[in-house]
Amino acid sequence: MSSKKRAKPARAVAVAAGQAGSLDATELASAALAAARYKDAVELFKDLLKRERRPAWLDGLAAAYAGRAEQLAAKDMVKEALALWRTRAEACQVPLLDGPYVGWLMKTGQIEHALRLLPSVDKLPAAQREQATAQLAPAVLVAPDHLLAGLSPESLGHRAAARAALAACSQAGARGDPAPLEAALQGISFRSPYRALRPLLKGLSLLATDPTAAAASLARVPVPGPCRALLQALRVCLMPGTEWLAGLRALDDAGRTLVLDLKGCPLPQRALVLELMARSGPVAPAPAELFDLLQRHRPVLPDGAARPLALRLLPHALQRLDAFRAGFGPLDAADQARVLALAAELKLRPEDAEDHWLRLVKLLCQSPAGQRRAALVLRRLADEHAHHSADGSLCVHALDWLQQSLKLDPTDRDTNLRLLRDARRAGDLKQARIWLDAASQQFPSDALVLQEGVEIALATGAYKKAAGLAKQVLQADPINPHVRTLVGQSHLAHARKLIGAHKPQAAQRELDQAAHWLRSASDRGQLALLRGLAAEPVETGDSLLREAVADLGGALVGAFHLLLEAKRVKPGSGFAPQELLRRAAVDAHGTADAAEVLALAQALHATPQREPAVTVALGVLNGMLTRAAAQLQLGETDHLLLCEALHRHGQLELTRRFAAAALARWPGRPVFVYLEAAARFGAVPWTMPQTEWERLDRVFEQARDQGDERTASRLSKLLGAASGPGAFDVPNGPPAFGAGSIGGVLDSLLQSGYEDDILDLARREMGKATFEQLRREVNGSKTQFAEALVAMLKAAAASDAGAPVLEPVKILPPRRQVHKASAAANPNQKDLFDG
Amino acid sequence: MADPYRQLGVPETADDHTIRAAYLAAIRACPPERDRQRFEQVRAAFEAISSEARRHAHALFDTQVPTVKDVLDRLSADWRPGHPSEATLLRVLGRPE
Repeated sequence: MSSKKRAKPARAVAVAAGQAGSLDATELASAALAAARYKDAVELFKDLLKRERRPAWLDGLAAAYAGRAEQLAAKDMVKEALALWRTRAEACQVPLLDGPYVGWLMKTGQIEHALRLLPSVDKLPAAQREQATAQLAPAVLVAPDHLLAGLSPESLGHRAAARAALAACSQAGARGDPAPLEAALQGISFRSPYRALRPLLKGLSLLATDPTAAAASLARVPVPGPCRALLQALRVCLMPGTEWLAGLRALDDAGRTLVLDLKGCPLPQRALVLELMARSGPVAPAPAELFDLLQRHRPVLPDGAARPLALRLLPHALQRLDAFRAGFGPLDAADQARVLALAAELKLRPEDAEDHWLRLVKLLCQSPAGQRRAALVLRRLADEHAHHSADGSLCVHALDWLQQSLKLDPTDRDTNLRLLRDARRAGDLKQARIWLDAASQQFPSDALVLQEGVEIALATGAYKKAAGLAKQVLQADPINPHVRTLVGQSHLAHARKLIGAHKPQAAQRELDQAAHWLRSASDRGQLALLRGLAAEPVETGDSLLREAVADLGGALVGAFHLLLEAKRVKPGSGFAPQELLRRAAVDAHGTADAAEVLALAQALHATPQREPAVTVALGVLNGMLTRAAAQLQLGETDHLLLCEALHRHGQLELTRRFAAAALARWPGRPVFVYLEAAARFGAVPWTMPQTEWERLDRVFEQARDQGDERTASRLSKLLGAASGPGAFDVPNGPPAFGAGSIGGVLDSLLQSGYEDDILDLARREMGKATFEQLRREVNGSKTQFAEALVAMLKAAAASDAGAPVLEPVKILPPRRQVHKASAAANPNQKDLFDG
Repeated sequence: MADPYRQLGVPETADDHTIRAAYLAAIRACPPERDRQRFEQVRAAFEAISSEARRHAHALFDTQVPTVKDVLDRLSADWRPGHPSEATLLRVLGRPE
């Protein structure tokens, strides 16, 4: 708002006040002053003073001027504030140096003007003199002597002591002798305006040798004072690590120079440091920008420092490849391949990255020194492929790369173990043993290698060997609980073999050995059952079997374990299931209670998934379980536990029965709908009727709405399997294929979102080189490329056939896109039996 | 993670023993109860370069973008603390409050 506009109400107030009398006018002026309406207060007091120069009104006018001037200074209108202050001094006959006047002079660079006021300072009252002295102190310290004519002898003494301390500080750093500085600091009086220099210069002298003591010294300096700028710079110096770089931003040029002097930054490097400072804000500079900075300042960087940094930036700023060669020298072939591979990975182009990595492997293999690095690259490639595998198993390429890597670096135990475990998991025990032999040669006493030896020996039925190796593992790793269990299990396995071979005494000895190692209730139960099976004459074992069945949790779960153990005993033992149940006094026609069913669920959870004996055992107990499904009233969680356990072991009919029973109590519950449907259609998804598919689709949405991502994900997979390419209906007769039908199939696949599969197929069939060449020629998105490939295949098929010979088969529209939106299951919603 | 060699204050040619010694010294200087963040940085740096294979892997596969601080680290590696001249101190002190 302009001053003219504001003057109007003030004048109006003054007129009104004049009419009302001087008493009211005084009150109005005081009220304006109290309300910080300084312009109004000035006008009112001036009007009052025209009538009479009353001292109270003069004081009021001075206060109003001071308030207004400070308002202006706060808005950076310091020159206007100074002019108003001078008006105040003339109009109200108050000292000019009263208040912030000197400070404002210094702020506007009128230092000589300020120094000319020095003779007036001594005439001020004590409090005002101290304030003015403190404001003038920085100027006095740096002013030439001829401007200090009006300075009192005491002030001159303070100045001389401060200058001496500064000189001593500078020389103490250069000479490494702190004594002169100590003496000079003692010379600064506690009344001196420069008294803060004592802790400041002390702190400065300790910065390099004892930062903690330096910080403590600086903490004693009062923040407002004539040495504030030095304090601020020294605090920046004390910032940890490289944080001082950002701290520089808050300093002026003189402060920055001081910090860089103290840090020891050579003059030629300062421009680079200041550029780095400008980029040290919260937003990091782009890699290309940092690269350009390094390139510009390369000559001032230490030898060998710029190139490695620029090389690390290159994968993120590949467009600077030529600039790198021009600025930092040639890039060797291996480095170039590595940079290109990393750049391709960063751009999410794994195929390109793979090509560059493999080229790097070739280059590194050319020298013996590069072989270990080549092995690392191959391992990384294998890792990338393993990440894409659902169960972490190794594909053909990954296997090949790992084998190559092991040839290049046979000392890599982990790769050896990885290959070994992969072969063991795949059931290729012959290959697993080859890897084990290789690992044993390199690491004969390694606990993990020996442990793998135990696993393979167990898998091949070499139980004695397994027990011997396990004891070796325990020598190397005495508290390994896994191996303790393995030793016990290897004795149990050997005992089973001996029972099968009708060697009861030897079997009992093995069981005695196993008893030393096994502690868990289920292990002890297994032990007891095997003792019963091994007993001779047979009748003596019956009581042992009955006790074991009771200890294991009742008829159902006891019988399950008994049948499992009988099946695990090698063929030839002649244990007929019904006879065994009779011996153990288990009534297979009875009905299990809820506790027994739950115990069975737990036992199924603890049993390996591919164990064929489970199906045999559950087959014998099918009647008990079927009756339980029809009669038992389990809680929802218990029901789910049992259904998941049966589902995990592929017990489709029992899963279906229990899931159906659960649905009868909790209709539409998504997880039970899934389990029931998976039991019915999981193995033959293409037989799923449309109505069932639609029902599952609704349940899928319901599961997702309820936040049950795991069930949604499982339903999505089931629906996807039922919607897959194999799910085309062929209404009448066998399909007839021609160019048109192939085109129709491909179009349908494209519409259904199968472009990845089309591209994979094309890549395999065409070969990588042709595929990549076409990809470059098409130069579009993945979908566009897939569409172009389909168009080409259709054209080729049509030209081969001459013309579309037959109508395409009727293909029902895809039921639905596979639910890509349903991501992988939430890791927090693991299977009940996940570890 | 910043350059692990700089974090531990060892040259890029350092062997296992030197790196381990530098790591132990660094965690003695900043135990986790005193400076958790620094401790974790030191720990991560050690894990990145504690063996020859890891050093090779770091050299081959590290894609951390160097930062302004990394450049400053390299630049200031050879700096030795200096002392200001009297003129510099006066320039700083001569500024009005």
